[in-house]
Amino acid sequence: MVETIKIKKGLDLPIGGEPLKEVIDARSIERYAVKPTDFVGFTPRLLVAEGDTVCAGQPLVEDKNDTRLTLPSPVGGTVTAIVRGEKRRLLEVVITSRTGSKSSTNQPNLTPDSPCWWMIKERPFGTIANPDHKPKGIFVSMRDTTPLAPDLDFALKGREHELEAGIKALEAYGTVHCVKAQGPHPAGNIGTIVAALDPINKGECVWSVGAQDVANIGRWCLTGEYRPERVISGGGPAAKAPKHYRLLCGANVQRICDVQLMDTSYPSMTGSTTTSSTRIISGSPLSGTTIKADGFLGMYDQQLTFIEEGDQYDFMGWLMPGLKKFSFSKTFLSGLMLPFKAMEPLMPVKPSFSFNTNMHGSVRPFLFTGQFERVFPFDIYPLQLIKACIVGDVELQEKLGIYEVEPEDFALCEFIDPSKTEIQTIIREALEVLRKEAMA
Amino acid sequence: MNMKWLEQWFEKIEPKGKWAWLGSTYEAFHTFAFTPKTVTRSGSHIRDAVDMKRSIIIVVIALLPALLFGMWNIGYQTNLAAGTDWGFWHCFWFGLLRMLPMIVVSYVVGLFIEFAFAQYRGHEVNEGFLATGLLIPMIVPVTTPLWQLALAVAFAVIIGKEVFGGSGMNFLNPALVARAFLFFAYPTHMSGDKVWIANDLWGSDAIAGATPMGELAAGMHPSASALDMLIGTIPGSTCETSVIAIALGALLLLFTGIASWRIMLSVFLGGGLMGLLFNAIGYNEYMQLPFYYHFLMGGFAFGAVFMATDPVTAAQTNTGKWIYGLLIGAFAVLLRVCNPAYPEGMMLSILFMNCMAPLIDHCVVAQNIKRRAKRAAAIGKEAHNG
Repeated sequence: MVETIKIKKGLDLPIGGEPLKEVIDARSIERYAVKPTDFVGFTPRLLVAEGDTVCAGQPLVEDKNDTRLTLPSPVGGTVTAIVRGEKRRLLEVVITSRTGSKSSTNQPNLTPDSPCWWMIKERPFGTIANPDHKPKGIFVSMRDTTPLAPDLDFALKGREHELEAGIKALEAYGTVHCVKAQGPHPAGNIGTIVAALDPINKGECVWSVGAQDVANIGRWCLTGEYRPERVISGGGPAAKAPKHYRLLCGANVQRICDVQLMDTSYPSMTGSTTTSSTRIISGSPLSGTTIKADGFLGMYDQQLTFIEEGDQYDFMGWLMPGLKKFSFSKTFLSGLMLPFKAMEPLMPVKPSFSFNTNMHGSVRPFLFTGQFERVFPFDIYPLQLIKACIVGDVELQEKLGIYEVEPEDFALCEFIDPSKTEIQTIIREALEVLRKEAMA
Repeated sequence: MNMKWLEQWFEKIEPKGKWAWLGSTYEAFHTFAFTPKTVTRSGSHIRDAVDMKRSIIIVVIALLPALLFGMWNIGYQTNLAAGTDWGFWHCFWFGLLRMLPMIVVSYVVGLFIEFAFAQYRGHEVNEGFLATGLLIPMIVPVTTPLWQLALAVAFAVIIGKEVFGGSGMNFLNPALVARAFLFFAYPTHMSGDKVWIANDLWGSDAIAGATPMGELAAGMHPSASALDMLIGTIPGSTCETSVIAIALGALLLLFTGIASWRIMLSVFLGGGLMGLLFNAIGYNEYMQLPFYYHFLMGGFAFGAVFMATDPVTAAQTNTGKWIYGLLIGAFAVLLRVCNPAYPEGMMLSILFMNCMAPLIDHCVVAQNIKRRAKRAAAIGKEAHNG
């Protein structure tokens, strides 16, 4: 049932703070938030008010453009805060859970108005699946290759029958491909998988669901209980005790941060200094979102990453040998060590790299070529597509295959780029223009 | 090493208010001393340690073996021609003193223009010229007058690069633009057999010393052996003669991934194939020359390693790089053998292919576009029939 693909191009980052195979139950976290900003193209209309009592699965906001699309409350409880940003933009609906509250009573099957619908994403554009579209396939990645991601086999242990039920429910909408990708990151990205099996053409769409969400859909269909549960990884070079956590979507991360950023009681994993602050990222270090220590996990994210802020100068950084600096280009002395990775078990001291949030250089025009291709397993010319996006040539973008990609597919290109261009932002903005055009 | 004091000094002197227009110059020196403390804002939170400065400095380091050998060879050639008996260090110091003024002139003139343009545009100063500025004095005859060199550098930076928008926007290799400028503006200083050997330290009285290609163009067999050419103890442009020294640089460029192995390999392949073709024809002495002589003579190896691989002016697609390199090698040998007006074909061949590179890329990318359109059309037809 599980298909496999083999990918050769890519890069697995030797980043520290890999979480231990040990799950801590964090389902007792009390505060949760639904963030409409996690959903591309979602124009929220609030359905609840502060102080309202809600049950798990009850819609909190709906999309103004398509009222069938709603974002449900992950738990039963009380709406304790509604956070707005600039121009009254809705940022968070915060729910404080109350034990003993019932799940919403609904027909336990997968329909657009069931609370699980938001788990299905659509490509191109990365929106919530449009129920009117007919996808040419529904893709589930069974191996997450992003750095520090949870091992999905481990995360789904014991949920096999739910997974099966979820796949069955999804089959009502199209062929389901569960794919276990082999090879370096981005092998496990949905974009890579779709490109390898059945690339998207203009006018077509595919849907994708996270493997753990398939199990959540399965649970909903089997029992009628809406409980969007995930095993997430909490790690990264600045984490004190990288571990897995079992929790519900949109959980508050305060308690996890307290443990992971504590100075004492846990030996430092990487020997990193605690003088500068730490960035907390909901999602992967390559394309996640920065959140505050009392913030909430993103709805689709299954990672919490802790990385040291790199806001320090580096004296003659461009000239120093750089034994601790990681570079894909082998322009630092550390590049000499990497070929010996196979000998690592024999080495007395394992090579460890200091990853932080420093840009490691200033922004420049594109000078070098041929690097992106080495980490970009698509039949697409990445540099040419990026340039087409920068100049806003929509026709050329379409010709070069913009519909086959999402910003996250360019994450490694952005990482290795010596010109320090914000490629994912460029791709997202280009896709937004196309999406709005398609809607109009 | 605690450089806190320097950090603070830089922060103290940051130009503000009425001096704010000096931002580009300040930024250039500041980032030279320190990689900035800028952190990522969006997208990937972590970044590769490599940046433009690091990439360019690798090119400069890769040039050093050829540069050092070239310095020694300047002295050695003078020594041979004058019939004196200089030791190793004497030769080296002589060459160093001849090269140094050229390097200084190239950097001062070029960087001044770069800074001026960056200031004018409010851009940051691009580090690309650190490589270009060293390349230019390495590919001219040692007797080139400094004022000509200065003119050539200015021409290359302004007309070759800045009018198109600066580094990354130019379509011709700036170092070769400088050489082409000298070649066409001052032909008597750039070819013949009187320009390759420095007389005394400051003098410019000509000493005859023909390059192997000069001899071949005159219909003679080269007097230097293949081994001499491999090591580089022959007359020629300042730092292009030693294939071994160039190979050392090539190894660094290839290991670090800064230069494209596809281009480097295909230039030699193209040159070799063309040489073999001429061997098969065998019409005259030049055509009968064993094909590998072309790799050893003149600027072929230097051009293949340091000039053709300039990523900005080369083809950008991987397939395009093969075509681009093959044609550079083939045209260079073709020009050498068939056009006695230009003894060295490498420079013109690379410049010509610089012009052709966008066309090559266009055709390669068009194939990808065609493939995608075909796929979409097939799906459309299927949907129509079904």
